[in-house]
Amino acid sequence: MPLPEDAETVPFPPGQAGALFVSTQPGDIATLNPLISEDASSSSAIARFLEGLTTLDTETGEVIPNLAKSWEISDDGLRYTFHLRQGLAWSDGHPFTADDVLFTWESLYVKETDPVTGDPVIDEATGRPRLRFPSRPAFAQMIEGEEVKAEALDAHTIRLTLPQRYSPFLLFGGGLNILPRHILEPYVKAGTLLDAWSINTAINRPGELVGMGPFLLESYRPGERIVFHRNPNYWKRDSAGNRLPYIQRIITRIVGDTNASNVAFARGLTDAESIQADNVTWISRAADTFDFTIHDLGPSSSTSFVWFNLKAGDDPDGKPFVAPHKQKWFNDVRFRQALSQAVNRQGIVDGVFAGRATALHGYVSPKNAFWFNPDIRRFDHDPARARALLAEAGFTLRGDRLHDADGNPVEFTLMTNNNSNLRTEMATVFAENMAALGIRVELQFIDFNTIVRRISESFNYEGALLGLGGGAPDPYASKDILMSDGRLHFWQPQQASPATKWEARIDDLMRDIGREFDPAKRRAAFFEVQEIMAEQQPLIFLVTANDYVGLRNRWQNVHPTPLGGVLWNFEALWAEPN
Amino acid sequence: MFAFILRRLFTLIPLLLGVTLLVFLLLSLAPGDFLTPVKMQRDVPEQLIAELEREFGLDRPWYVQYGYWLANVARLNFGYSWSFKVPVVDLIGSRLFSTFLLSLTSLLFAWCIAIPLGVLAAIYKDSIFDRVSSFLAYAALSIPEFFLALLAVWFAATSGWFPIGGATSIEHEFLSPLGQLFDRLHHLVLPTVVLGIGGIAGLMRIMRANFLDTIRADYVQTARAKGVPEGRVMFVHVLRNAINPLISAFGFSFSSLLSGALIVEIVMNYPGLGNLIYHSLLREDQFVVLAAIMLSCSMLVIGNLVADVLLAWSDPRIRLESRD
Repeated sequence: MPLPEDAETVPFPPGQAGALFVSTQPGDIATLNPLISEDASSSSAIARFLEGLTTLDTETGEVIPNLAKSWEISDDGLRYTFHLRQGLAWSDGHPFTADDVLFTWESLYVKETDPVTGDPVIDEATGRPRLRFPSRPAFAQMIEGEEVKAEALDAHTIRLTLPQRYSPFLLFGGGLNILPRHILEPYVKAGTLLDAWSINTAINRPGELVGMGPFLLESYRPGERIVFHRNPNYWKRDSAGNRLPYIQRIITRIVGDTNASNVAFARGLTDAESIQADNVTWISRAADTFDFTIHDLGPSSSTSFVWFNLKAGDDPDGKPFVAPHKQKWFNDVRFRQALSQAVNRQGIVDGVFAGRATALHGYVSPKNAFWFNPDIRRFDHDPARARALLAEAGFTLRGDRLHDADGNPVEFTLMTNNNSNLRTEMATVFAENMAALGIRVELQFIDFNTIVRRISESFNYEGALLGLGGGAPDPYASKDILMSDGRLHFWQPQQASPATKWEARIDDLMRDIGREFDPAKRRAAFFEVQEIMAEQQPLIFLVTANDYVGLRNRWQNVHPTPLGGVLWNFEALWAEPN
Repeated sequence: MFAFILRRLFTLIPLLLGVTLLVFLLLSLAPGDFLTPVKMQRDVPEQLIAELEREFGLDRPWYVQYGYWLANVARLNFGYSWSFKVPVVDLIGSRLFSTFLLSLTSLLFAWCIAIPLGVLAAIYKDSIFDRVSSFLAYAALSIPEFFLALLAVWFAATSGWFPIGGATSIEHEFLSPLGQLFDRLHHLVLPTVVLGIGGIAGLMRIMRANFLDTIRADYVQTARAKGVPEGRVMFVHVLRNAINPLISAFGFSFSSLLSGALIVEIVMNYPGLGNLIYHSLLREDQFVVLAAIMLSCSMLVIGNLVADVLLAWSDPRIRLESRD
C-alpha cells in the first residue's frame, strides 16, 4: 500500500527498520476487546493495535490530532466536527472512513430489545432503556446519562453532537478506540459484540484483530507470550519518507509477577522495564554489564494519603459508624491540619523509598505540570506547631498521652492493605509521627477486599491509608473522588447533598471545569479546588513515588516525557537489527 | 467388573455436590467478590457495576447462585470466566496440555528412578548404599516443594544451563519442529526434577518395604530351594508380588496429574492449569475455580478406580465383584 495522503511525519531523525523488541509483562492478558478490558496487561496490548481520533501530547498534556487531522467545535460547545485523515487503511487493507467511527459510536448504545415484541427493554432501577452491550466505554461515553449522537457528514467527516456542554469530551470522547466495521459488524448483529476479540480469537485467529495502530497481533500463547508484528499499513512516516514503525516484532513474555519481570531485565533478557522506586538500586548494578540506562521520570501520578471516616449517621444496627467523640475530632479541621503538620514526609521519602519519591502536599502530583498548583498551603513537618494547633482545638497532654477536652485519650485505628510493603511501611512511619504528638495509632494490615468493603459498604473503620493511580490527566477524571456525590469521595462517599460548605464549593468548581472550554479558566478553577483540599485536609497526602524505566542503550530516538514515559513514541524507536 | 466401575462413578455425584457447595459457601464468606477491585478504580460508571452485578448474579444470596450454577452444569454448561470472558471449558482446555505434559514427565521420572533404587536398597539391605539412599529419601521427603522450586530457579539463574521458568523460549515459533521439541524438553527438565523428587522418596520407601516383606515369603524360599537362579527369583517372583501397593500409589498420583503441580507451576512460572487456578482464586473468578475443583475431584475418583482395576488385572487374587 502506498503511504496515505495525510500521513503524519514524526519529528525524529530517520532510523533503520527490522529490530526485535523483547519485553516481559507481569500478568496475562484477559481479552483484546477494548469494551471489556479492565486490567493493565490487556489495555497495553489493545493500545498497540487500536487508535482514537485524538490523543494526548505527552509533553504538554494537550489534545492533539491522531486519526482525525483536525476538528471544529461549535460556539455552543455541543457539536464536534472531526475531519479524518485521507487515504488511511485498516491493517488488512480495508479503507478507514467515517463509517467506522459511526459504527463505533452506534454500537456502544445498541439497546436491548424484547425478543417477542421487539421493543426496547426498560431498566426498572434507572427507568432508561437497557443497553445490549453494557460496557465501561458505553456508560462512560454518556453525559449525565444522555447519549452522544454521531453522524457521518461524508466519507471523511464525522459530527458528534453532545446533549450538553462537556469540555473534557475532546480527550475522553475523542480518545475512544475506533473499531473496524467490516470485522465487527457481524458480532453486533448477532448480539455478541462483548464476546468478540476474546483470548480465543487471539489464540486461533489473530488475523481477525484488525487495527489502525502501529502493531498487530501475530500470535498469543496463554500464560507464555504475546507476539506483535509491524502494521504494514500504518499511517506515520519519518522525514525520509519511510513508513513506520521501525520495529519488526515485539515479543512480550508473560511472567508471574513484577519481581520475575525485573529479574529478566536485570539479566539483560529484555529491552525495557518499568521499575518501582524500591527496586532501582539493585537493578542498576547490572546497567554496565547489559548496557542499559534507568531513566528517572520524576514524580509519578500515583498518590498516597491518609483519611478519616467522616460518615455521619448510624449503621443498620443503630450504632454510629464512628464513636461520637472521635467523630468530633475527625470533623475538626484543626485536628486534621495538626496531624498533617506532624507527618514527616521527607522521612517517608528517605526511609521508605530510599529517596526515590517526592513529598506530596496536595491533590495533584507535580508530574502533571499544567494542573499542579505549587502555591497551596503546605503543612511541613513541624511537631511544635502541630501541638500548638491541637492545644488551640482543646486537646491537652496528660503525661505522654493526648486527651481531648472531655478527657478521652486520643487514639484511632488506621488500616492499609497487607500486600503492599510500601504502604505498610508508610503507615508505620505515620504512626510513629503521631506517637510524637501523644496520639496512639493502632495499625491494621488487612486484605484489600476487606478494606474496600469497609470504606464503601459497611463504613466500619476510623482511618485508612491508601493510594490512587494516575487516571487521565484532566481534572474531570477526578470527579468521582472530589465531588461529594462521588463513589470514591473517600471520607464520606455518595452524599445526597454536600455535608460542608467547602465540599459544596468544590462541587461547583468541578461542574464549572466540566463545562468550561478555556484552559486558563479551567486551570484557575482546579487551582482553587486544590487550595480548598489543602486547607481542609480531608485527605492527608504523604508522598508520590518516582517513576523509573529501564531501557537498553541500543535503542535510538528515545525521548522520555513526563506523561508518556519512555515508550510513548514506540513507532519511532529503532535499533540495529539483531 | 462393569457394575463395579459404574457404581464407583456414581459415588462421584454426591462427592461433587458436597465439594462444590462448600466452595460456593467459602467463596461467599471470603471478603469481597470479583467486582470489589473494580469498585476501587476511578472512572468506573456506577451503572456498569450494577449491570455486572446483575449479570454475574452477585446481587443474589450464594445459595441462589449455587442453584443457578447447578442447573447450568446439569446441562453441561460450566459457565464463563468473568475475567477472560470465554467459556471455562475453553480456558481450562487451553492450559491442560502443559500441565499434563509436566505431570507425566515427572511421574515417569519418579518411577524410573524410585523402583530400581527401592529394589537395590532391599536386596542390599543394611549396606552403605541402603543407608545413604534412606537418608537421601528422608531428606527429599522433608524439603518442601516450593523450596526446591526456588532452589531450581536460583540454580537456573546462576548456572545459565536451564531457562528460568516458562514452557518455551521466546524464539520458539521460529524454530524447526525438532528445535521446538528440544526447546520444550529443555524447559521441562527442572520442573520435572523438582516435582519428581518428592515422589521418588515416597515410592522408593514403599518399594523397599514391600520387597523386604516378599523376600521373606515361603514361596521365595521354595524357589531358591528349587535352584531357580537368584536374578530370576528377585525379578520374577519377588518384584512381581511386591509391586501391588505401588499400583495403588499410582492411582493417587494419577489424581494429581492435573492439579498436583500448582506450587511448582507458580514458582517456576510454568503456564499450566495450576497457575490459572491460583490466579482465578485470587481474583475470585468463581466458575473457573469451581470447574478446576470438579476436575481435580473427578481425577481423584477416576485415578483410584483405575488403580483398583489395574490391581485386579495384575493380581488374580483380587476380585472386584466380590465386594458387591
